[in-house]
Amino acid sequence: MGHTIAEKILGNHAGGQPARAGEIVIADVDFAMIHDARAGNALKMIEKLGAKSLPHVKRTALVLDHYSPPPNMEAANTHVEMRAFAEKHGSPIYDVGDGICHQVLPEGGHLTCGDLVVGTDTHSTTYGAFNAFGTGVEGTDVSAVMMTGKLWFRVPETIHVDLRGALQPGVWAKDVTLAMLGKLGAEGANYQALEYAGSGVAAMGIDDRMTLSNHAAELGAKAAILEADEKTLAWLKAHGAAAPKPVKADADAVYAQRIVIDTAALAPQVARQHHIDDIAAVPEVAGQKIQVALIGTCTNGRLDDIRQAAAILKGRKLAKGVRMIVTPASRAIWLAAMREGLFEILTAAGASVEAAGCGTCVNITGHYIAGDDQVVISSANRNFKGRLGNPKSEIWIGSAATVAASALTGVITDARTVAGGDWRAAA
Amino acid sequence: MMKAIKGCARVLGDDVSTDIHCSSKYLPGRDTAYIATVAFDQVSPGFAKAFGKGDVLVAGKNFGINSSREQAVHIMHRMGVAAIVAPSFGRQFFRNAINNGLAVIECDTGGIADGDMIEIDPSSGRVTVAARNITRAAPPLPAAVQALLSAGGLIPFLQKHPDWNLKGSAA
Ligand code: SF4
Repeated sequence: MGHTIAEKILGNHAGGQPARAGEIVIADVDFAMIHDARAGNALKMIEKLGAKSLPHVKRTALVLDHYSPPPNMEAANTHVEMRAFAEKHGSPIYDVGDGICHQVLPEGGHLTCGDLVVGTDTHSTTYGAFNAFGTGVEGTDVSAVMMTGKLWFRVPETIHVDLRGALQPGVWAKDVTLAMLGKLGAEGANYQALEYAGSGVAAMGIDDRMTLSNHAAELGAKAAILEADEKTLAWLKAHGAAAPKPVKADADAVYAQRIVIDTAALAPQVARQHHIDDIAAVPEVAGQKIQVALIGTCTNGRLDDIRQAAAILKGRKLAKGVRMIVTPASRAIWLAAMREGLFEILTAAGASVEAAGCGTCVNITGHYIAGDDQVVISSANRNFKGRLGNPKSEIWIGSAATVAASALTGVITDARTVAGGDWRAAA
Repeated sequence: MMKAIKGCARVLGDDVSTDIHCSSKYLPGRDTAYIATVAFDQVSPGFAKAFGKGDVLVAGKNFGINSSREQAVHIMHRMGVAAIVAPSFGRQFFRNAINNGLAVIECDTGGIADGDMIEIDPSSGRVTVAARNITRAAPPLPAAVQALLSAGGLIPFLQKHPDWNLKGSAA
């Protein structure tokens, strides 16, 4: 009986032998992350632990992304504490405007294939795009990692997802996850790892693969891991990551479930208001009016998302009455998008561009507060009632292509039906 | 080996989010002590006020979903929760409970009513409500998890065993 990628990575970090689903292992953690929304608790736990020294603190990054900029004094003071902690201990720090934790960790070369990475955030599954086991934990866990370099894990069962065929132009990894949410439900992969494989994954760029691993958090997944290929290795090398140790699943690995998705035939999907697993194909809801279009977050605020939006909005104007905000996921993406002239296109079309960070994902900073009865289409990952500060508003979730096409027309629109919606094919 | 836990069952339904009903996320400025007096009020009015020290929280499926804050467990400690029994838990909540020394047992909770006397044996996984002739077999808690729980959570455990010697402590 063979092993899954999750079993192998956890086993490699816990003595060397592949582990088995259900086992509890004590594993060596390669890298950890604390972001500002959890730093208050994490720093309290580190103090409570009372460790004489924190030998692994230099492998823990502190990221100031949720409170960017800080909306109140308490958040501003958390930032002051985080900067002081990083200064004292020599931890890497990403300050306000540098970007979202899940984007800056890979960009900063902090992880590579085969690594075990934890962060104080559910979307730490993102690192799976680079063939690492990434998972979300809390402050207690990170303080344990800083002191001992280790952590306990229950080895998860794995669901194997075979994506068959390259996505059509105008269809993105976001649509794959939304389709999965429609199939499995919001907690459908609770405690479990996902392994995405197949020609659909092979055809995807790194940006799209990061969406796939990131958005698995909405399925309740503990990790969402892809095999490494040449694109992965080239990307990691370009970002200064350590030598990769790619991990593949065995042909006879034991899976809890196998799912096949005909990605070549997939249409763009949306999650309707309030429930991330209330899924419809875009053509079914076409015509639904929207007033606000948001592109950003750790799920879909990457360069390809912004390029796709610019391709759709080039030389055009947003529909009358629509407000659009674009928030790049990191400073590096911001710079790249600026150099490519994408912000000129978007700004001329009527959109606003904001500094990198969590931005409009959730109403923490007041970047965007919805008005009564407003309908928002967002490329974010969660849409529960009130996430944008007003339970009387609606948040619908779709790809950056769907968001941009909808901003153009004022109603939820299939990007395949508008000029520029096929941007990827042309690239 | 953990001791058996016996207490009065206090029942909640399916899909209870500890993020919404047991944290200060939507009650900014309110502290853990205050929330321990109003937690779960929206799903079961007066729940926290009536909760007695040593009572067992019995819930439906997906207890603790959407919750990544350890604060939920700190609040439950203040309420005096001796253990939680539910058919399934949110992943991060489950982990936080163990890390903070709160026993979480996965088994079917159908048929258990508010006020029932419930007994849990974490090492064998047996859950019993004698008055109703209910005996359920939950997966026994792994020895490593029992060691963390017996120590009172991950932090007190590491203070005693910085080498992660789970075996040495479980004895
Ligand atoms: S972008 Fe949103 S989901 Fe992602 S880390 Fe920030 S707040 Fe969380």
